[in-house]
Amino acid sequence: MFVWKKRGKVFTPQAVEGRSWLKEFAQAPATLVFDDFVRVYFSCRPPADANGQYVSYSAYVDLDRGDLFKVLRVSDAPILALGGLGEFDEFGTYPVSVIRAGDEVRAYYAGWTRCESVPFDVAIGCAVSHDQGKTFTRLGRGPVLGRSPDEPFVLSGPKIRRFNDLWCLWYIAGRKWKRVAGRPEPVYKIRMATSRDGIRWTPLNRDLIESRIEEDEAQASPDVFYANGKFHMFFCYRYSSDYRGKANGYRIGYASSSNLTDWVRDDAKAGIDVSDQGWDAEMVSYPHVFELDGRTCLFYLGDQVGRHGFGLAELDGTLA
Amino acid sequence: MKLTKRGRIFDPTHHTLPNGCVQFAQSPQALVFEDFVRIYFSTRAVDEANGKYLSHVAFVDMRKNLREVIRVSDKTVIPLGGLGCFDEHGIFPMNVLRHGDRIYGYTCGWSRRVSVSVDTGIGLAVSRDDGLTFQRIGEGPLLGASLHEPCLVGDGFVKVIGGSFHMWYIFGTGWQRLAPGAAAERTYKIGHAVSTDGVQWVKEEARQIIADRLGADESQALPTVVEIGGRHHMFFCYRESFDFRKTQGRGYRIGHAWSDDLSHWTRDDDCALPEAGPGEWDCEMQCYPHAFECDGRFFLLYNGNAFGRHGFGLAEIEP
Repeated sequence: MFVWKKRGKVFTPQAVEGRSWLKEFAQAPATLVFDDFVRVYFSCRPPADANGQYVSYSAYVDLDRGDLFKVLRVSDAPILALGGLGEFDEFGTYPVSVIRAGDEVRAYYAGWTRCESVPFDVAIGCAVSHDQGKTFTRLGRGPVLGRSPDEPFVLSGPKIRRFNDLWCLWYIAGRKWKRVAGRPEPVYKIRMATSRDGIRWTPLNRDLIESRIEEDEAQASPDVFYANGKFHMFFCYRYSSDYRGKANGYRIGYASSSNLTDWVRDDAKAGIDVSDQGWDAEMVSYPHVFELDGRTCLFYLGDQVGRHGFGLAELDGTLA
Repeated sequence: MKLTKRGRIFDPTHHTLPNGCVQFAQSPQALVFEDFVRIYFSTRAVDEANGKYLSHVAFVDMRKNLREVIRVSDKTVIPLGGLGCFDEHGIFPMNVLRHGDRIYGYTCGWSRRVSVSVDTGIGLAVSRDDGLTFQRIGEGPLLGASLHEPCLVGDGFVKVIGGSFHMWYIFGTGWQRLAPGAAAERTYKIGHAVSTDGVQWVKEEARQIIADRLGADESQALPTVVEIGGRHHMFFCYRESFDFRKTQGRGYRIGHAWSDDLSHWTRDDDCALPEAGPGEWDCEMQCYPHAFECDGRFFLLYNGNAFGRHGFGLAEIEP
């Protein structure tokens, strides 16, 4: 079992002032490391509208590289505008995953639209930055990865990586909308696609991680990290119903692979769970692993899937 | 080339339709058998949940004189998609293609949205019983919104030419509101995709292949291609994007283009359908064309007024 030392909550969105689009939530942290700071992208929300519905934006916070608890600045505006009328990302750009590609930074993000019979659909878009990740422009008005015969809806939670010259995109794909107490709830599983250019993707078209707690277990945040000769995936999972509280809410799982596509799940190794008390006592979710100055670090969300921000844990030892 | 109208040949209100459908026989699509022609169309039931329409596929078998009805389908040809799927709220149209001993049905699936009325995608369903019933190959679409085709990919029409599958289809260029609070209206154009197997497609991403006649706000729909005398002829329908439902002169008309290389198309609407006189079934609107060959003759099926609420008619294409 890995041993993660929890260091506490790093960023609290409620503490940020003067940004109408950022009231609460700092979801799905994703890092871009600079010489003297770590830029952490996250997704946030303004207050809900009159119907109680949210839109979501993505933004970043820069943390001092020497002390990740020291906030240097928060972006003045969302990194990306919402999509236009009838476009796939009209109602949200959440979550986002970034990667350097030459002088550019590319962002892969999930775009949200609202539907009539189910609350939403999601597809994955791509945007590019020419200013070191401060602002991004969409490559097009449509998604780079949308629904297909085997992945009919809710393509979300992209995580972009490059291993040698192969672009890899891990994401989640909806398998069914399940009616729970009259309300459609999405069941989604972790999947991947590969690409030579990051634009044209070939989905693998199968679930990567076997379900453990129930057949309709929902899986999210497939965060892949290479260390010591193999690929490690930290992800989160939850029950399909009553998942907004502690009992059925998100926990962090783990799987490993030698070839990127065949994964062995072993949640007992994950080494991080809810705390007895505090900001992450009900759920832990949306893990993101990164290496910083010889340390292996983990950002993750606590209760209410990041409504009150994200925190840091550090690995005792190495991923092996 | 000349088109001679034969009048309306099918009125759905004169028949009992499956799935509780009553009116509409839209976007007729022909499948020619040895001694009859099966014509698929989309008809409508009312969604009990909210009073909106659900489009279902049905068919009518006609004698080859294309006047006498043999029968109308009495059961479901293809069920609608499940909760949250791209074809949950309708299939309209379904283009059919013989492929070995199977029939491929390229569906245009509809699902409702909140800020705009709908989005669409193109699916594939396969029949192993001569087109009586179809089973989809997956719950999602073959073709949907992509990087430069942001919405409303639909109306696929597929032909195998020289060993390659060709699809002509439409893609949305965007939704617009003429005024704040007005309903959002869509604009779409005709595009082209190719495939080696009819399943994996490569789109010519957002290349509009047919020139506009009405300007940028022209919407083009339901392309259909037929080869006559070594030349490819495309029929389609086109309209203004705004105020097109009721205002004479802004609604759907039939357009035409031709090509010798399947890449460059020359628009020539003069070859299209003659206008109808006052009071005729197609005097306000002519739309949703489908061209096909039957025993060496060429025909065009199409809808008339009110988007096909009262059925479809026939014209003969004479070279």
